[in-house]
Amino acid sequence: MKLPARLIIVGFVAAILLSVVAFRDSSAQVALSDEQLKAISTNCLSIKGTLNQLHASDALLRVNRGQIYEAMGTQLMDRFNSRLAGNGLDATGTLAVTKSYRTTLDTFRSDYQTYEHQLSMALAVDCKAEPGAFYTATEQARTSRAKVHSDIIELNQDIDDYRSAVNDFLINFLRVSAEAQQ
Amino acid sequence: MDEPQVVAEVQEKLGFWTEHRYLLLIFGTIIIAVILTSVSLIIYNVSGAALLDLSRPGYQSVSDKVDRTSDIDSYSSSGPINKTTVDQFTKIYDAQATKVKAVDAFNGDPLNPEVLEFGTSSQ
Repeated sequence: MKLPARLIIVGFVAAILLSVVAFRDSSAQVALSDEQLKAISTNCLSIKGTLNQLHASDALLRVNRGQIYEAMGTQLMDRFNSRLAGNGLDATGTLAVTKSYRTTLDTFRSDYQTYEHQLSMALAVDCKAEPGAFYTATEQARTSRAKVHSDIIELNQDIDDYRSAVNDFLINFLRVSAEAQQ
Repeated sequence: MDEPQVVAEVQEKLGFWTEHRYLLLIFGTIIIAVILTSVSLIIYNVSGAALLDLSRPGYQSVSDKVDRTSDIDSYSSSGPINKTTVDQFTKIYDAQATKVKAVDAFNGDPLNPEVLEFGTSSQ
């Protein structure tokens, strides 16, 4: 009696897993009409050309932007924090923002890596023969690219936050200095 | 097995390795080189360094557009802290922040089906 019960459970779990996989596959394809599939196959070359250009221009953007964001952290934030610490001043505010900035920068690097991988995967798909798979891969890359953009917004927000933290520090520093002189 | 026979076998074995030692050295060197090259290629890809390498095939069109001049004014990590030095810092920082935010990187939706000329499901 035990064996059939186990078999039923295993069969039940397998059925659930298979239906989840089937649902995922069908949901990936559901947004595509026959016209779209035909359009992808017909315009395959021009779409691939556009994607190749985007691939290259985004790589350049990653290198140039990444360089500037890296420099903001190492050549400005870190150095100012070190100077505050060297003078025995409270750098809690600026340090907290720098930490958040570093975390966001790491997320940006990782998200860009994911996006680049997914775009490369889309480029590797034969869009003439497999328009559905190509569409799915492109959509995944599109979602990842939006994530990279949100990382950029967050980095810019951290840059503004650091500026505010420096302002707060200066106000506090001037107040304490004035009190000490009195 | 008598002693002369064992000696003969050992000599025969030693003779083989002695005879082929240069070949062994060459193959050994090649195998070590292949292993080390494979490891370095894995590190190159996994670390993300490959993403910053625009000398790869397919990126030649943009490789000369890399900003090689880091014109960011550096700020010394040592020295006194007073209103003047903080103002110096904020001046450099603001200039750099403006430059950073001048480009809204990865903005737009170039992977939108409509942009890629295969329309949307509503079409």
